[in-house]
Amino acid sequence: MTGWAIEIAQAALVLALAPGLVGVVRWLKARLQSRRGAPPWQPYYELRKLFGKDVIVSSNASWLFRLAPYVVFASTAAAACLVPSLAVTRPLDAVGDLLVLVYLLLLGTVFLSLAGLDPGSAFGGMGSSREMTVAALAEPTVALAIFALALSAGSTNLGQIVGRTLADPAAALSPGHLLAFAALFVVMLAETGRLPVDNPATHLELTMIHEAMVLEYSGRYLALIEWAAALKLLVFFALLGNLFVPWGVAAVAAPAPLALALGSLLLKLAVIAVVVAVLETRVAKLRLFRVPELLSVSFVLALLAVTSSFLGR
Amino acid sequence: MDSLFAQLVVLESSLALIFGLVLLWRRGVPAYVNAFTWQSLVLAAVAATVGWFGRERELYLVAALLIAVKGIAIPRLLRRMERRFGTERELAPYVNTATSLVVAGLLVLFGGAVMRPVVAASELPTRAGMPLAMGLVLVSLFVVVSRKKALTQVIGFLMLENGIALLALLGAYGIPLIVELGVFLDALMGFLVMQIFVYRIHETFETIDVDQLDRLRH
Repeated sequence: MTGWAIEIAQAALVLALAPGLVGVVRWLKARLQSRRGAPPWQPYYELRKLFGKDVIVSSNASWLFRLAPYVVFASTAAAACLVPSLAVTRPLDAVGDLLVLVYLLLLGTVFLSLAGLDPGSAFGGMGSSREMTVAALAEPTVALAIFALALSAGSTNLGQIVGRTLADPAAALSPGHLLAFAALFVVMLAETGRLPVDNPATHLELTMIHEAMVLEYSGRYLALIEWAAALKLLVFFALLGNLFVPWGVAAVAAPAPLALALGSLLLKLAVIAVVVAVLETRVAKLRLFRVPELLSVSFVLALLAVTSSFLGR
Repeated sequence: MDSLFAQLVVLESSLALIFGLVLLWRRGVPAYVNAFTWQSLVLAAVAATVGWFGRERELYLVAALLIAVKGIAIPRLLRRMERRFGTERELAPYVNTATSLVVAGLLVLFGGAVMRPVVAASELPTRAGMPLAMGLVLVSLFVVVSRKKALTQVIGFLMLENGIALLALLGAYGIPLIVELGVFLDALMGFLVMQIFVYRIHETFETIDVDQLDRLRH
């Protein structure tokens, strides 16, 4: 019973935290670029406003266009529930492992791309085709990178991977883990549409990816998609933080470890947010044709990670 | 103790391999030179690690030599060449970047397969790093055959040499010091000869693109 209570609390926490995380990254970026920036809680205002607005749908759009935001949000929220963000052993561990997680995220991506194509606008189609180019290279890398961890833990279950690294702290510094971390970090940038792959701060560039697909959305649909995008960012941050540096994640369901887990989760998210903000301030956007090269670098890193955790067993 | 040794060695070998992969991904010569410098320093660290855990005093000397020759002297010469030819970037190699990286990944897997019997037969705690060293040898060889600019090929050759040294360190705790000295001298001489070649190529063709050497046939 307490297991489900923790599960629900964790899901609520993750849902509530996601827009704030995006706000923090934006705010940090603004400060680093000597701008004052909107306060970190600005995305909450934006979501509230968007939920209150009317929806305008192109007359060319089909039912798919209306369905997509719900699928995107639901699949991302489900993926967020699978990530062990607070506790190691949870009832939902039995429901899905890392493969389910990868494909839930991919499901959202596919529906978003379909929705980009649906209204027949030129921008949406371009965005969708680019998103597919990126996703086709990024998804195998995510799977391979986590697979490198699964290989040393002997299970594809995310909770067990975390538990295993908690039990054997030296494993966190093994080359397999470090390489997989590097690979997953690059893929995180690509999957969540950050620089140098996509620029999250613009609606003006011809090379935009995520913003091009959602250009036709408005009102509560847009709110759902923005919220889902924020959730995806949080899912990847939490994966990076908790799979590779699992200290702080509660091994037992007691109040004190859970409070510690919450504190360490917030700390890890903050650290990764700072890293991403600094990176986004320092690097320029890659040419679209160089993006596959970047992703193949991360694919090779993930492949090396698998090789070396296979050899190091 | 042994497990820490093994972990450190595998970590350093993977770093050396990653610095080798930089040659496939980046295009500017300064990045190549930096990658080579760091790789040499990592190699020196491997020598020192093996020397510490394997109690081989000579290897400290080897590490010092590595830092002096490959960490400082050769990069300095490379930078001098880069100032002259650095504007010639590796824009159109024989194999494009994305394919090169995938090929490199496959080569590393192939290296693992080739070294499997050796690793199985070895009792050394360093054995887990040997497939990665073999991977570095194969990847550098691939750089030499797939890149067009003479300077990139020279750096690829130097990395190949690093890979062989790494393999020797991991497989046999280094070779006798006198042989090691000979190899250093050979590498340095080879590098100087190649440097002269690159200068000659540039003088004759006003580029260091080795594709131009085809014109010698006519």
